[in-house]
Amino acid sequence: MNKDRIIEILMEVHPEVDYETENGLIDKRIFDSFDVVTVVGELMDEFDIEITAEHMIPENFNSAEAIAELVEQLEDE
Amino acid sequence: MPFVSIEFALFVTAALILYYLIPKRFRWIVLLAASYVFYAISDVQNLFYIVFTTLTVYASAAFMENRQKRSNEYLSANRERLSKDEKKAYKASVKNKQKLILWLCVILNFGILVLVKYFNPCLTAAQNFAIAYFNMFRLNMFHNSDFIPFKNFIMPLGISFYTFQSIGYLIDIYYGKYEREHNLFRFALYVSFFPQIIQGPISRFGDLSKELYTPASFDFNNIRSGFYRVMWGLFKKLIVADRLGGYISATMAMKENYKGIYILLALFFYSMQLYGDFSGGIDVAVGVAEMFGIRLFENFERPFFSKSITEYWQRWHITLGTWFKDYIFYPLSVNRSMIKLGKTVREKGMPTLGKRIPIYLPMLAVWIVTGMWHGSTGKYVVWGLCNFVFIVLGTEFEPVSKKIIASLNLSEGSFPVRAYRVVKTFLLMSFLRIFDISHDTIAAFTGVKYAFLEWGSFSWEKVYKDLLLPKEDLIVVMIAVAVMFVFSLIQRKGSVRARIFNLPVPVQWIILSALIVAVSVFGYYGMGYDAASFIYGNI
Repeated sequence: MNKDRIIEILMEVHPEVDYETENGLIDKRIFDSFDVVTVVGELMDEFDIEITAEHMIPENFNSAEAIAELVEQLEDE
Repeated sequence: MPFVSIEFALFVTAALILYYLIPKRFRWIVLLAASYVFYAISDVQNLFYIVFTTLTVYASAAFMENRQKRSNEYLSANRERLSKDEKKAYKASVKNKQKLILWLCVILNFGILVLVKYFNPCLTAAQNFAIAYFNMFRLNMFHNSDFIPFKNFIMPLGISFYTFQSIGYLIDIYYGKYEREHNLFRFALYVSFFPQIIQGPISRFGDLSKELYTPASFDFNNIRSGFYRVMWGLFKKLIVADRLGGYISATMAMKENYKGIYILLALFFYSMQLYGDFSGGIDVAVGVAEMFGIRLFENFERPFFSKSITEYWQRWHITLGTWFKDYIFYPLSVNRSMIKLGKTVREKGMPTLGKRIPIYLPMLAVWIVTGMWHGSTGKYVVWGLCNFVFIVLGTEFEPVSKKIIASLNLSEGSFPVRAYRVVKTFLLMSFLRIFDISHDTIAAFTGVKYAFLEWGSFSWEKVYKDLLLPKEDLIVVMIAVAVMFVFSLIQRKGSVRARIFNLPVPVQWIILSALIVAVSVFGYYGMGYDAASFIYGNI
């Protein structure tokens, strides 16, 4: 369920990307730092989680799947 | 003890012999002893500061760990009894206590850094203001310009570097990135490791601790490779950097008489000098560490080949840049208040500005701090702000730049576009160095104005005779810069030393001998020469 909502959030930033298959959002520079911070803000509000500086690594934001894993991990904490 | 001295060479040799003679498990003790002896010889009066930082950071990390352990025990004992919200509230209260200790330690240590770094300039400014004020009203109450009865602080050796490294460690412990070092003396080694204490690199505990505490077996390749690296550092420092200082100082001191190309040349030379001096110093640090079998993080990655200012700062003084990114930029950028501010602006019908706020405001903070880090006078803050403005302009005009390139039927990867971007970045970054080589901000702006005047009056004879750069020295510098350029080109395809070590042994000896001879013969050892004074060693 998280992943669907995450894809909705990502679609608001870059609707042209296929988030089911794309796994290089940061590495391929599809998302710039403005986009990432916008997404972080939405995730924090939507899932009531605390994303901090330690989580700001490319691996956590390269795909919808990776973001969903990060959200899940932070929800458990 | 200067890095470039016989004493330092003897000191490293003695430490190496001792290090490899004793059993592996005691080797870190030799490094700790060597680091403290090195520090004490260089700066015995200020040993107090480094010990203070070591103890406060060690104790704070211990507190955080103990608090976390007690919290984990409590939560596991009450797993069934507590609701999810109660657990969350408990964890938040524990984190707040840890945060309090973190802030206390940060304020204490940065407070000391700010005090020793800015007290003297602030005192001087206050004195000058007071004297001007009293003189204005003809109240000649003070005849002595040093009338304020405070002791001047002397900057302890390497305080900026070890403070940043230690606080970075503590923040990582706070985030739970890795387990703290339990042995105080081993931690003291992490703070004081002598090759990197004067001018970095600023290492991370996760990287450096593995290298420091698990010593490698003796390997001649490490000695050989480290020695090459040290000699290469001396080549850059002694042949290029130290030869150019005279021309730069003389030109800027007499800029009313030497405008136009003289100033542009001073800026070009200063870029060479700073790179040779700082990256040369880092080469010595990395090379010496390598002889002990310890790999330090690289601090430079051919910065003059960068295609934008952002990229340049990702390749120049890398460990400082990543420190600022991890411990200032991101914490501010993903801070709830910052995100909220951006969102509010977005919702008020300014989506573009709203998106930029959580990036540009933290970036502004980083550049102000970067300026302050580089020096204690106002001109460095202005320099930081100029960098910020150039980066913002570069980012905002990037789409326009891409359109122009596309309209010329050129691709981003084509040689003319890459060359244009590299040259543009080099020129901009060199130009901003006007703040470094000018006395203050006003002098820097005067320098900018003068740089575009009287181009026709340039004469090489004046450079050779009046501006302290004899023709022979200029030729030596240009050849050395060309060698550095060629080595950088080769380095793009991998380590130069690895290539040298694949050559037949006699050729390797010839290259090493040439390097030693070049440093010995062409190294700049003039009157009053002080190889100790690395530019970044004064930060």
